[in-house]
Amino acid sequence: MATAMDRKLWAQWQKEIENAPPPVQPPTTVSSVPIDPLYTPDNLEDFDYDTELGYPGQFPYTRGVHATMHRGRLWTMRQFAGFGTARQTNERFKFLVAKGQTGLSTAFDLPTLMGIDSDDPRSLGEVGRLGVAVDTIEDMRQLFDGIDIGKLSVSMTINAPAVVVMAFYLAHAQDSGVDWRSLRGTIQNDTLKEFHAQNEIYFPPEPSVRLTVDVIEFCTRHVPKWNPVSVSGYHIREAGSTAVQELAFTLADGFHYIDQGLERGLGVDEFAGRLSFFFNAHNDLFEEIAKYRAARRVWAERLRNHYGAKQEASCKLRFHAQTAGCTLQDKQPEVNLIRVAYQALAAVLGGCQSLHTNSMDETLALPSEHAVTLALRTQQVLAHETGVTNTVDPLGGSYFVETLTRQMEQEAGRYFERIEELGGMLPAIDRGFFRREIADAAFAYQREVDAKHKLIVGVNAFQEADEKPLELLEIDQAVESGQIESLHRVKADRSQDDLDRTLADVRRAAEAEENTMPTLIDAVRARATVGEVMCALAEVYGRCDATVV
Amino acid sequence: MLDELFERLEKQDRLALARLLTLVAREEQLDVIRSRAGKRPEKTRVVAITGNAGVGKSTLVGKLAEYLRSQGQSVAILACDPQSPLTGGALLGDRVRMPSRPDDPGIYIRSVAAASGHQAVAEHVDVMIRVLGRYGFDVVLLETVGAGQGDTAVSELADVVVLLVQPESGDELQWEKAGLLEVADVVVVHKADLAGADRTEGQVKELLSLPGCRKIAVLRVSSTKGEGFEALWQAVLESPRHAAAADEDARELLRRAQEILAERFHRQGDRVGNVIDRWKRQELDEAQAADELLQLLAR
Amino acid sequence: MSKQPSLRIVLAKVGLDGHDRGVKVVARGLRDAGFHVIYPGLWQAPEAVIRTVADEDADWLGISLLSGTHMTLVPRLIEQLREAGLGHVGVLVGGIIPEADIPKLTELGVARVFGPGTPMEDIVQFLRDSGSRTHA
Repeated sequence: MATAMDRKLWAQWQKEIENAPPPVQPPTTVSSVPIDPLYTPDNLEDFDYDTELGYPGQFPYTRGVHATMHRGRLWTMRQFAGFGTARQTNERFKFLVAKGQTGLSTAFDLPTLMGIDSDDPRSLGEVGRLGVAVDTIEDMRQLFDGIDIGKLSVSMTINAPAVVVMAFYLAHAQDSGVDWRSLRGTIQNDTLKEFHAQNEIYFPPEPSVRLTVDVIEFCTRHVPKWNPVSVSGYHIREAGSTAVQELAFTLADGFHYIDQGLERGLGVDEFAGRLSFFFNAHNDLFEEIAKYRAARRVWAERLRNHYGAKQEASCKLRFHAQTAGCTLQDKQPEVNLIRVAYQALAAVLGGCQSLHTNSMDETLALPSEHAVTLALRTQQVLAHETGVTNTVDPLGGSYFVETLTRQMEQEAGRYFERIEELGGMLPAIDRGFFRREIADAAFAYQREVDAKHKLIVGVNAFQEADEKPLELLEIDQAVESGQIESLHRVKADRSQDDLDRTLADVRRAAEAEENTMPTLIDAVRARATVGEVMCALAEVYGRCDATVV
Repeated sequence: MLDELFERLEKQDRLALARLLTLVAREEQLDVIRSRAGKRPEKTRVVAITGNAGVGKSTLVGKLAEYLRSQGQSVAILACDPQSPLTGGALLGDRVRMPSRPDDPGIYIRSVAAASGHQAVAEHVDVMIRVLGRYGFDVVLLETVGAGQGDTAVSELADVVVLLVQPESGDELQWEKAGLLEVADVVVVHKADLAGADRTEGQVKELLSLPGCRKIAVLRVSSTKGEGFEALWQAVLESPRHAAAADEDARELLRRAQEILAERFHRQGDRVGNVIDRWKRQELDEAQAADELLQLLAR
Repeated sequence: MSKQPSLRIVLAKVGLDGHDRGVKVVARGLRDAGFHVIYPGLWQAPEAVIRTVADEDADWLGISLLSGTHMTLVPRLIEQLREAGLGHVGVLVGGIIPEADIPKLTELGVARVFGPGTPMEDIVQFLRDSGSRTHA
């Protein structure tokens, strides 16, 4: 880019800046990256449009993965939902579809996420509380009763037991006459980030990744439109990472899955295109936009140049975004609506493929219908009233945004090198590298907030003396006993011989290092519970119950 | 108060045990507790586990404790973590990797903060060990802060010192040899499930075969797979118990003398500085300066 | 020659939720303020928490909860503390606790509930002012 700048005028501006009073709060991004007062052609001296940006839908996809982006087709508005029993969540799903939501997203309760059953003593008080309780295939049938999963795309947020839940879903699809080849949707199935941040851990890292790759491999061969993994930075960010850490660790996880898929004998172009991503949409508008743009560029370049991908789809980083739960405050909760709106703007300007907007009451309880509706309306206003969909990548070419995008890319590259120096992904996990980096960042952030170097409305600035509480959704405590009863009915009703035989087969497949999916589908058809299947696998893989500070 | 605590300790009261260890850490009535607790019983075996940060000390200690429980041995763990020299604060996170057996009276885990960066274990661990011995534990596992210069002190506290190394730590081996292999009685190649464990084992053995080295057991353990613990414990049992640990009273006397010396130096800080300054300015020669220092200490 | 003792506080994550950002930040903050912080990790059963508090001779127990199970787990913990002869240990609760539940928790014996966004300094000051009933 040519630098046609009048140096005299520049010097004059520079002088004014030097004489101006310094900002009260340090001018840094939410991740504490210092920001200059002004970006000019000087920042982009060697900028090359064709190699760094290119056109939307073309390598390296910095400006977006589709030629027309949101002008051609809006992002999918996909609100995460789930609570109580499968029947209750099924009703919420139908409510959301009636309100115009275009995809479903399932939240499971903590026992399900941890791979234990509702009647396990550790589940006490947790059944159906933060998501829907799914113990057996019967719950899965109930969950999607009357919903045409051959048409609607479905996302399921589950990781350690993702193989089991995927088996539930595939068995249910088959039993309802839906061809696997028509199934669209995503299962999160990203076990690596559990070790970095989210802590829903069951097996040690190596077999955890093995199971993730089982789903990838199986879906590549049999469920071609399904996204078998959603490589997630969301939780890394929620755990307190910086934007760069979110970017770098997520992409490093993605590269590790690619490596493992290749090791299984899959060709890179057979499956790389089905990997999807999930990023956080945090408060800092430009930092977030730069993050998404850098993610696409880094992924595309690595896939083409390092992995030798030939197909465009393999190089296109598609992502879901969710506004940052960790930015929601319990003080003046309506203000959360405003935070969410700006975060959603960042995701859309950054070229997301689908988006979840958080409800304003989520720090306090599961969202009420009123709050969920407002959250969805936020996306609809953005899509239809603000005009941001009219042109693709409107901030492309901004001196500031392009500089930030480059910085992000370079910093991520440094993290890749450090991971390499530690011996790769699994040794770096073993040494607690990711956790330490994230915890350091979280602590540094807290100190900045405590020192009021960063202001949070209603928390360390602009507080209200009297706050009026929101109307919250109450979860009926009867859910737990009801779920346990129905689980016991399923257990009483099944054939013990079938159960033993299929679970033995699961163990055998795991032992033989075969893909476990076919045996899992048989086991869940024999009414094996999530907890039973996980225990069977643990007999082979061992358990991982320790996490590092 | 001490009478009551010791009475309860005899009755295997865990709360009394816990309180006594707190008093030791706080240096409250330390001398009384030391003598009331008495010498450590012969049957109590003290095993120190040391090694660099990240080598998996806590994990191994935890798994070893579970193995010992399965053999019917009662186990106490003293897990040392560093304390900030500035604030005195400490983050004691070793329990994260240790077994949670709330119903098992035969295992006791205590996190202790080790003052100032260069100590491998907390202060007065010797007295803590006496108290744990008095309570009746068969084994005390002493987890150090990390490998370092303070490790020679560990070999005086423990019957047996187990040093952990891990695969892919080839670069550190030379350094390990310089400081650590000297105090180790057993060397464990930990994380033996990782690639490169054979090579690391070979390297350690090679180093130890150099002339002048003691005979030291080298073996592989994987905490992830739960393998190697029986062999490890066998090696510990076969390793001769340190004479120093047995001759605790003499060591105690020496330690007190060192303490008194340090305290006097500290008390005379200004004058010591003055002597050093004069020596630096060459107003005193070395012999004169040394003599003046000794006179200061005698006061 | 006893030294200025540091208060010992056990920070426990109970229940199944794995959100440990808050508890880790508090752990480091308390460490930097001179406390001895004992962190036994995630997914602690109430019985395991009690054992840790007993064996570590803690002055305080901080319970971190984000999954909304506080009304199930906190009463159970407090009851078990008393049964174990640890009634002198001060109890704090941190996490997302609806306003309406706070009086219920303090009535049970919780000394203080710290919600999200609490400045570190408030927690430190509260503990310093309250001192220890374990070592009165």
